[in-house]
Amino acid sequence: MKQIKKIGFWFLVLFILLLVCLPGIWIFVSAFRPNPEILSKPANWIPDRWTIFEFTQMFSIKGYVSVPAFKYLMNSIIISFFSTIIAITIGMMGGYAFARFNFKGKNKIFLGLMLARAVPGISLSLPLFILFAKLGIINTSIGVIIVYVAMNVPFTIWLTDGFFRQIPKEMSEVARTDGCTRFQAFWNIELPLAGPGIGAAAIFAFLLSWNEYALASVLTRTIESKTLPIGMMDYLDEFTINWAGMCAIAVVMIVPAIIITFMVQKHLVSGLTFGGVKG
Amino acid sequence: MANVDLKNLTKKYGDVIAVQNMDLNIPHNEFLVLVGPSGCGKSTTLRMIAGLEEITSGEIYIGDQLVNEKDPKDRNVSMVFQNYALYPHMTVKENLGFSLKIAKVDKKEIEQRVKEAVQILGLDELQKRKPSQLSGGQRQRVAMGRAIVRRPDAFLFDEPLSNLDAKLRTQMRTEIKKLHQKLQTTIIYVTHDQVEAMTLADRIIIMKDGYIEQIGSPIEVFNNPINVFVATFIGSPPMNILEAEIIKRDGKIYFELDQDVLMPCPESKASLLSQKNKVIIGIRSEDISPSNSNTSDEFWYFEKNIDLAEPLGTETQLFIKLKNKEIISRMYNPREIEIGEQINFAVNLNKIHIFDNETKKIIK
Repeated sequence: MKQIKKIGFWFLVLFILLLVCLPGIWIFVSAFRPNPEILSKPANWIPDRWTIFEFTQMFSIKGYVSVPAFKYLMNSIIISFFSTIIAITIGMMGGYAFARFNFKGKNKIFLGLMLARAVPGISLSLPLFILFAKLGIINTSIGVIIVYVAMNVPFTIWLTDGFFRQIPKEMSEVARTDGCTRFQAFWNIELPLAGPGIGAAAIFAFLLSWNEYALASVLTRTIESKTLPIGMMDYLDEFTINWAGMCAIAVVMIVPAIIITFMVQKHLVSGLTFGGVKG
Repeated sequence: MANVDLKNLTKKYGDVIAVQNMDLNIPHNEFLVLVGPSGCGKSTTLRMIAGLEEITSGEIYIGDQLVNEKDPKDRNVSMVFQNYALYPHMTVKENLGFSLKIAKVDKKEIEQRVKEAVQILGLDELQKRKPSQLSGGQRQRVAMGRAIVRRPDAFLFDEPLSNLDAKLRTQMRTEIKKLHQKLQTTIIYVTHDQVEAMTLADRIIIMKDGYIEQIGSPIEVFNNPINVFVATFIGSPPMNILEAEIIKRDGKIYFELDQDVLMPCPESKASLLSQKNKVIIGIRSEDISPSNSNTSDEFWYFEKNIDLAEPLGTETQLFIKLKNKEIISRMYNPREIEIGEQINFAVNLNKIHIFDNETKKIIK
């Protein structure tokens, strides 16, 4: 009886796992086969013919060009990288300030930052579009970076604030009587101790920038600034959809995110639980 | 190597006064202990000297230099905290050398000075460990070592032993005292434990509600407390305090400690009490002890039933009641005591303390 229960349990786990992973698996499989096979009915789970045709096309190997995926990839990397770095730098300092200093309206400002996160991003698209158009930064990487920084800073502040709070105040005090300036104490002592939290915040910020679609679709127009999620729409024609191409570019998008997440997974988990207990 | 002077030092948090008009002169090489109940301003005072807390008004001098506007790093004082605050991501050795590294001291010199501190504190085998791999006592030692390597003008200790168990505390107490003799530096030490204060201090400062109640050597504050607060704070068990009516009979003055329990006033004090109706009497437990005789003039004798006895080995503490207040007496040659047993007590009249019942100050 116990044995049956155990087996039943693992089947259930497997079933749920499949359910969760199915779309991912389908994307991976479909990225490596031609379009007609994807559309065949009944669904063909294991491709008859494997091909990397779509990949060679989008990375213009052998002279084929369908979608300028390499350029999109570079845009995505540049935008995600810089928006993460800037958001972390600002957010970390903000988190430190909220954790360590008392200033007027501290709680209200903190609440305001959290409320800013509650605003649906898409509702800002039109105002942002008009504003950026007037400023002349529509369709530029810088414009997108600014928006992503604004989206990421509140969350980074919230997460790092929790981490800095858990470091005893005496740490920096003893460092300061040890001959450090306030900044040296922060840099040498508190920053390394808050490392996991900052790492976790960086991953969240990076993934958000990497995956964001709604605002980027409004703010980016051409190859100059389009990111991978927006580039995916290039496979949408008036009458046809190139599913294979779309899946291929999705793989290009997913793989770096998975690699990075696995690399810092440990931090991510501790980041979520550690920062979470803040009072 | 420096003296520390506080002039009219005040600290307020909004309307709350933490330290009020504190004047203090700490000569070089003194071991000064600030003691008092929590919230009395002792830690705040220490933190102001360290520069971690801003001063509302007043002046602080370290080695004749005004340091009011100086950052903690420029004051050349070292602080040891209650929770040690070792840098968890550094080894013991790195912890010890950190301040010198920040000061950009030559590497050889760092090595040398860390070695010195390691030897003084017996940390030889622990150098490569991280703080999480150390016991409480070892952490405390590293924290002290970190203070030593800087060769500061003054050491500031903020309740450094409160996190240790009783046995270790006694041991570390001795070590701190030895350290002071070895280093010959000014030490300002904050504690709420009066035993620590008594054993370590050259001078004790007893604080309450931001004010200094009394300054003096341990023996001085023990023998001559200036008010009821100091009397009950210093000494363990605390001094017995009794309110007493003054009764005049046959030209003599008596204190009525309980109904029909009259203690004669020592003649040396009689003239001070002519205007008084009521006073507060303080008697240390060692000055009320069981006695076989009842003849000496220096003593006053009374009989009472025992409520409770606590044998401690070298002595037994006897609990009796006067005016419904618990009084502790010490019996120095303990024998088996039965509850309810009637015992003859002797009070040393030369050792009683008489306080004003309104101002709570000593009458002398």
